[in-house]
Amino acid sequence: MNWKNVLRLVSVDVKSGRLIRGQRLRRYRERRIFQYLLYGGACVLGIMVGLGAGIFYTAVPDPELKTLFDQGARYLFLSLPTMVLILSLVFTMMGQIQRAGVRSSIQPPYWLPITWEEHTLASTLAHLIGVPLAFIILLSSFIATFSIFLKELPLATLAIFALLASAFLASTTTEIFRVLQVRLIGAVYKSSGKAAVWVRFLGSLLFLIAFYVVWFSLTSGGSSIVLIKMVASAQQAVWFVPYVWLGAALASFMNGLLAQTVIFSLASLLFILVLFYVAVKLNTRFGLYEPPAITVSRGAYVPRVGFLGKLGFSSLEAAVIRKDFKAFTRRRELMYIFIMPIVFILMPLMQYSGMLGRPVEMEPSRFLLAWILLAPGAIMVVMLGLMIIGEEGGSVWLFFSSPITARSLVKCKYAFVTIFSCIVTLVCGVIGILVARPSLDIAIALLIESMLLIFALGVVSLGAGIRGADFTEVPRPRMVRPLTAFVYTILCLVLALAIFSPLLLHAVTMEYIPIPVSLPKIDLYVAVSISAVIALVVTFVFYRIALKNAEEFLLKAEI
Amino acid sequence: MVSAGETAVKLMGVAKRYADIVAVDYVDLDVRHGEILGLLGPNGSGKSTTLKMILGLIKPDSGSVNVLSINAEDDPVAVKRKVGYVPESPRLYEFLTGLEYLDFVGDIYGLDASEKKARIEEYLEAMELEGREGDMISSYSEGMKQKIALISAFLHKPRLLLLDEPLSGLDPRSARIVKDLLRKLTAQGVTTIMSTHILEIAQAMCDRIAIMYEGRLLALGNMKELRQKARLPGSDLEDIFLKLTGTEDIREVVEALLK
Repeated sequence: MNWKNVLRLVSVDVKSGRLIRGQRLRRYRERRIFQYLLYGGACVLGIMVGLGAGIFYTAVPDPELKTLFDQGARYLFLSLPTMVLILSLVFTMMGQIQRAGVRSSIQPPYWLPITWEEHTLASTLAHLIGVPLAFIILLSSFIATFSIFLKELPLATLAIFALLASAFLASTTTEIFRVLQVRLIGAVYKSSGKAAVWVRFLGSLLFLIAFYVVWFSLTSGGSSIVLIKMVASAQQAVWFVPYVWLGAALASFMNGLLAQTVIFSLASLLFILVLFYVAVKLNTRFGLYEPPAITVSRGAYVPRVGFLGKLGFSSLEAAVIRKDFKAFTRRRELMYIFIMPIVFILMPLMQYSGMLGRPVEMEPSRFLLAWILLAPGAIMVVMLGLMIIGEEGGSVWLFFSSPITARSLVKCKYAFVTIFSCIVTLVCGVIGILVARPSLDIAIALLIESMLLIFALGVVSLGAGIRGADFTEVPRPRMVRPLTAFVYTILCLVLALAIFSPLLLHAVTMEYIPIPVSLPKIDLYVAVSISAVIALVVTFVFYRIALKNAEEFLLKAEI
Repeated sequence: MVSAGETAVKLMGVAKRYADIVAVDYVDLDVRHGEILGLLGPNGSGKSTTLKMILGLIKPDSGSVNVLSINAEDDPVAVKRKVGYVPESPRLYEFLTGLEYLDFVGDIYGLDASEKKARIEEYLEAMELEGREGDMISSYSEGMKQKIALISAFLHKPRLLLLDEPLSGLDPRSARIVKDLLRKLTAQGVTTIMSTHILEIAQAMCDRIAIMYEGRLLALGNMKELRQKARLPGSDLEDIFLKLTGTEDIREVVEALLK
């Protein structure tokens, strides 16, 4: 293996980030100081947190509390390899999903004298560059610093090695998954024929839901502590699963079982080598595999006269709406948009049912209902509005060269984001109403409120999506400039609060939300009417802005 | 009704700069109705920028562009309705099938259903894409994608075709089909402006050739006029091109490469 080739390939992958960072590409000069800022920051943060925890640990006077603290820290050290494994899997697989639409992101340059071993190792390491590596550095520096206070330096050293090995293990698994999914999905498409589009859509959806549920379970507050304890004890029970051998090695070391430590460590090393060998073999066999063509339609071509025409859309506008629908159901990198509403229903429901380690609530609250009815549609419309222009990518030249007016562009894109979000709201609304069983008045008011949010926030985010459109596609589609997305998400949040405030006031005056003073009651329908007026004003003002942005966008087509 | 010989596209003192790079340097150009004009020039000579300015995709820094009696800057949408455009390496919606893409383009230009169906089927047959039209474009070869891009430019029967390297990626048979098609369209009064690097194609297909170099229009005319301008009677386009662009002495370059 030529290690220099591996480093060169990794560096190519790191450099692909230049395109999405949007730096000046002409007369480009690498500014290395910024390149390592993420890792340096993570290291400093880890040391600071470690120092803070250490000082706190030393200052604790109560020996019982100290023992408890000691035990907690040991649990953390033990569970870290498995936790890092899971998190690295989530990070690296999410990275792969985002790159799904870009074939050229890290294609093996097969015409160059590079072996598949070198390519596989580079690809495996490249998965870890960025956030996963920063996360590992943060944890390692924390462990190293904190272990000085705990006087557990040998355990910490082993834990850091285990962390690095876990991350590599996760990344190798992702590499295997990446190659396999290309091959397996290809085979599924071949056998499923016309249904391939829906097989892909539903398959990707299920996969993403599973991953986001794991992700939210790991990152949702108190449940992390439950998970740490659970992982620490569970990995002893499932010691025969190779993925927990690193954690088992740490546990053995902590209990002074040197022979077991050596056995588990060597077994882990062997497992990593076997996985890497499998990844190399799969890459050799399928690395240049071209998935078979998906045949969507066969037989005679019959132009469709859709019902969109009857709704007042021109053929051009209807064509764009139909095209966008196909984009969001066929492009894997866009499918994650469907996950958000599902996750936003799943998470509160999981919490409500006690699946996240919290006590089961006796009665579903009004807040749960309001959340399920309002949040998914509103979040969906903001996300769609921001990305709906940028998702065109390099194909946007067709918009610039075709006779589309600014008004038509805004109309069809606005129609798409609002229709889609309304469907989401209706589906979520049915689930919310079935779970929370509210009164008819409340249900209708919340549904109207949700529609108002969708129509108002839709045009705000669309205006921003036009202004901040980013057509960068490599190494992953960016769709909207991060600063625009950030600023307008905050603006949407403020406007959503403004629109919702009359209903909030109604909830306060009706004492659904307890406050110390008594206020005159505001009727539900009066509150909804005031909301509607605010939403109308927002929609009108931002529609004008969106139109102006669209006019400028079509004139400045210098891509 | 316009007759051949009248001006279809008029560029007057058109210039475009990108920071310190001069892409197009005060170009004056008249393109006649029903002719095929070849834009010839090395990489970075301003051919693609010129085509984009004609379509209204790029606003010139100075000068004016008149297309089919419409000022491209005043009414770009009206210009786009009458023009068919194929960019260099066109990016298509890869998640659509070839048929869906053409159907989409037909709707964009407002073709009615029966007309759209007839034209799409006709072109798919002509370009030998039958049997693959139901497959997603992501599985197409570069040549097939180029054919789809060309069909989408021809579909709405434009009066002006702006083609940036139209034959790139096409096999000889398909290239011949496109050449014949362009000649037939020319006979029907369609004006074509195409950029190319391939001198043989320019010489064989174009009524007139405009040679561009470093954003400037060095020469414009038919082969006879270009030979006169270069003072190279009886020579072919390659010699004329190399002489006019001042790059004829390539011997030193080749010798340096062989060292």
